[in-house]
Amino acid sequence: MKKSTRPATYGLMAEFDDPSAVVAAAQKVYDEGYRSIDAYSPYPIEALSEAIGVHSTRMPLLVLIGGILGLIGGYAMQYYTHAIDYPIIVGGRPFHSWPSFIPITFETTVLGASLAAVFGMLALNGLPEPYHPVFNTPNFALASRDRFFIVIEAVDPKFDRDATAEFLRGLGSREVIDVEH
Amino acid sequence: MQRVTNPHDDVAIHRTSPPVIEPGHTFGSVTDKISALTLRRRTPIGWYIGFTLSFMVAGMLMMTIAYLVMTGIGIWGNNVPVGWAFDIINFVWWIGIGHAGTLISAILLLLRQEWRTSINRFAEAMTLFAVASAGLFPLLHTGRPWLAYWLLPYPNTMGMWPQFRSPLMWDVFAVSTYATVSALFWYVGLIPDFATLRDRAKNRVFQIIYGMLALGWRGSARHWARYEATYLLLAGLATPLVLSVHTIVSLDFAVSVIPGWHATIFPPYFVAGAIYAGFAMVLTLTIPLRRFYGLEDFITVRHLRNMAKIMLATGLIVAYGYMTEAFMAWYSANTYEEYMILNRMRGPYAWAYWSLIFCNVIVPQLLWVKRVRHSTVALFLISLVVSVGMWLERFVILVTSLHRDFLVSSWGMYSPTVFDWSMFIGTIGLFFTLLFLFIRFLPIISIFEMRTLVPQAQAQINEEKGQA
Amino acid sequence: MDTTSYNLPPAAERWQTRALIIGVVALVITAVIAFFSGSLTHSGEAGVAQGEAAAAAHGSTTFLAQFFRSYLVGFLFVTGISVGSLAILMLQHLSGGSWGLVIRRILEASTRTMPLLALMFIPIIFGIHSLYEWSHAEAVAADPILKHKSLYLNVPFFIGRAVFYFVVWGALAYFLNKWSREQDHTGDPRVKRQMQNLSGPGILLFGLTVTFAAVDWGMSLEPHWFSTIYGMLVMAAWGLTAMAFTITALVVLSRHDPMSHVYAPSHFHDLGKLLLAFVMIYAYFSFSQFLIIWSGDLPEETSWYLRRLRGGWELIGLAVVILHFALPFVLLLSRDVKRNARRLVLVALLVLVARVVDWIYLIAPASHQTEGHEQSLWPMLLLDFTTMFAATVGLGGIWLWFFLRQLRQQPLLPIGAPDLDKVLAAATTSQH
Repeated sequence: MKKSTRPATYGLMAEFDDPSAVVAAAQKVYDEGYRSIDAYSPYPIEALSEAIGVHSTRMPLLVLIGGILGLIGGYAMQYYTHAIDYPIIVGGRPFHSWPSFIPITFETTVLGASLAAVFGMLALNGLPEPYHPVFNTPNFALASRDRFFIVIEAVDPKFDRDATAEFLRGLGSREVIDVEH
Repeated sequence: MQRVTNPHDDVAIHRTSPPVIEPGHTFGSVTDKISALTLRRRTPIGWYIGFTLSFMVAGMLMMTIAYLVMTGIGIWGNNVPVGWAFDIINFVWWIGIGHAGTLISAILLLLRQEWRTSINRFAEAMTLFAVASAGLFPLLHTGRPWLAYWLLPYPNTMGMWPQFRSPLMWDVFAVSTYATVSALFWYVGLIPDFATLRDRAKNRVFQIIYGMLALGWRGSARHWARYEATYLLLAGLATPLVLSVHTIVSLDFAVSVIPGWHATIFPPYFVAGAIYAGFAMVLTLTIPLRRFYGLEDFITVRHLRNMAKIMLATGLIVAYGYMTEAFMAWYSANTYEEYMILNRMRGPYAWAYWSLIFCNVIVPQLLWVKRVRHSTVALFLISLVVSVGMWLERFVILVTSLHRDFLVSSWGMYSPTVFDWSMFIGTIGLFFTLLFLFIRFLPIISIFEMRTLVPQAQAQINEEKGQA
Repeated sequence: MDTTSYNLPPAAERWQTRALIIGVVALVITAVIAFFSGSLTHSGEAGVAQGEAAAAAHGSTTFLAQFFRSYLVGFLFVTGISVGSLAILMLQHLSGGSWGLVIRRILEASTRTMPLLALMFIPIIFGIHSLYEWSHAEAVAADPILKHKSLYLNVPFFIGRAVFYFVVWGALAYFLNKWSREQDHTGDPRVKRQMQNLSGPGILLFGLTVTFAAVDWGMSLEPHWFSTIYGMLVMAAWGLTAMAFTITALVVLSRHDPMSHVYAPSHFHDLGKLLLAFVMIYAYFSFSQFLIIWSGDLPEETSWYLRRLRGGWELIGLAVVILHFALPFVLLLSRDVKRNARRLVLVALLVLVARVVDWIYLIAPASHQTEGHEQSLWPMLLLDFTTMFAATVGLGGIWLWFFLRQLRQQPLLPIGAPDLDKVLAAATTSQH
């Protein structure tokens, strides 16, 4: 079953039980030159994301685009239906009653931005993703309780099964284990 | 994008106030205690009793709706001149109650009020269920709810479009956007907790269900970064959204020319009223909940006290609205405006007006007293009174404004029928049914956000501050 | 850190003198322009068909009317800084937070200008007949609506109410300042609670007084018109003015020792968010008012907007939308703009200018007889802008002189506040 280009394992996982320790360790892993890495924590730790080299999320840009599309779409919809496609006088108001169009335009703007935010986040995170190798390790269920993990993937050019494991052990982790595919 | 990162703003409060989480908790204890409420096999007997009662009341709603659909809205008491009555009163009341949920989850997050953490999940759920109850009323008031999709703009064989210059269309967009965004916000907040439940569940069925809902969440730091950014952005979007929703609800009335409805203060006044009623409902629900489920560690006196303060502040804005309405009615020198306010105070529905003043203006002044704010019993009672008062407010705005038409020949009176009552009470049953299901199957407190309040997490955050 | 060193930089003495000179000169310019233009437009409009009595009642073409209307714009703008600061000061006592501590002394100095504002109100009493139609007995006698309102809109009650407003604002400012000074000396934690306890009811009093002040000074310029949101609109306007001014003052101080070491980007970030909130709230209130009145389309209400959407005023309205909402809103969405003091101050200054334009838009058209006039009102409009901006600079300069005198009297940080150390520590670490 093994393909020739595929490494024997997914990578190595180090387990920690303190948030400060995992942040410090992640920083050292990144400083050492590893780039195909990830860290896992039961709650968001800004410093941990930064330590593994995540600085910008591109989410604000996505939301801005979603909002602008919603804004233009909402106003255009009302303008087209009332001023172009089916102009009809109601309440003595002009066909292009811009003050009346503002509330719906506002709602579609917020809707566009919110949909962009949620689905953009899921798409960029690659979710839903039912299977992932990290779930194969026995203690990983605790990543949603009180444990913190650092994973160095085998595809990283600097990865070396023994040297990397030794390096991870030196960072004060509880345990370092292989992650199977 | 740490949730609780503000280095200094709560320092002073910490010193003098009860904490937002009782001491001694760890990541593990927080996780286990909250997830146990959902995963523990034995469901308390009280839950069964509560659920059964609520479900029976919701059943009454189902029967009313069935009869309504078969017969028509003539079974309600509204008729010329009072064409809008219980349906719209209850719609506005429920939507208003929903707003506190969004306020707690979004605005307090933006203001970095960490005390929101233990009540936001619950409050958001309340929002969704309140919006669901609210949405029923205008839907059924259309008379032919199976044709409700006509309200949406889609190219059709009739070659017509919805009338976007009408505030009722604004309502369709506002409420559906609000329901969508609230559901997304709630679900996004639940994803990491679904992962927690997936990893804790012993039962294979629950493992699969929670696993599917968790979307494969694994707590990756790369994911968390985008997740936190999204959560904050959603909060930033939900804040103006919640204001816009009740603004648009108020515009349903204010853009008309009916005295008592056509007032420029309506948007902020309705928004304040919504938050006021909403916080009253949150208090009404959390006070018994924390007691029965032993959540005093997480929902502390500080939460109740802060909510009491918000209630007092919004209540005063609402009182300001009443005062301005009365003053301007006189100042306008407009006969109809003046008559409107005098009719409210002295007309056939004066009992409703003075009861609402008593419930919304007088009773809540007790909240100035510190001892009242610290007594759960007093808070519970006051919030019940405010809920009643806010319902009466909508009754007064709707009924007294309509029952005296411009022409004396079209004057009339309104009284609700038994079906008006069974619908209204039925939606309360629906609301509680959904709430009981939520309490049983989902974590009622955001587990991952509670972890950020644990001393160990705070130590890491403070360390970060020191190094920065 | 040496706590005695938080004093105004020496350069401030120069600013103070300059502000006073600019203020006095600008007021003189206002009077001079108003004098010449008043006589010019008066002769120019003599041929236009317009009832003599109406012209006298509205006084739209006389020197005094032009001067007092300009003065009123300046007065409402400057009062906004002080009274808005009072509200923000009470809000920060109630809510706590580091943003409040770093601006507290600026807010307090603004509130201590209340006696000066009370003095500045006196000319309005002399101008009452030029400004307010309801102050003319013959106009009231001829108009049943004015007769109805004369119970409220009459000269003695108008003056009495103004005195009451200033007493309330002055008393709130007096106690908050007195206790704040006490806190500096004693560091007594009870003082903090005392200030909180006053601030709750204080906000309530603020809301009520500002509402009626708004009706008196602004709304009653067009005595037939009414709008229930007007009081809240003025509260938001004043809060916005105060916020923008406070940010400007903070940025100026941050460029000089000793405060350059104290303020951190996070402080500006918080204040920028508040400025954004005020910009949005004001836009929300004014659009609500517009949409409701536009939709209702009742003659007694729409006349107010009709006057403001004709004869060139529609362009000013558009300018208000852009300068007062769109531009600051888009700029303040950016995190960089909020955290960078140099950029943030530009937005704050833009908001201050937009506030003056908006006050002109709210006040000036009241006395313009646009109905029945087909000719362009541009000459009149240009005149309004010149004299009203000059009057605002004039009153603003004098106010600034007094403000700087007040600011000098105390350390620029509340050195007795229990949480100050944390704020300073956070600020110094984040500068590294």
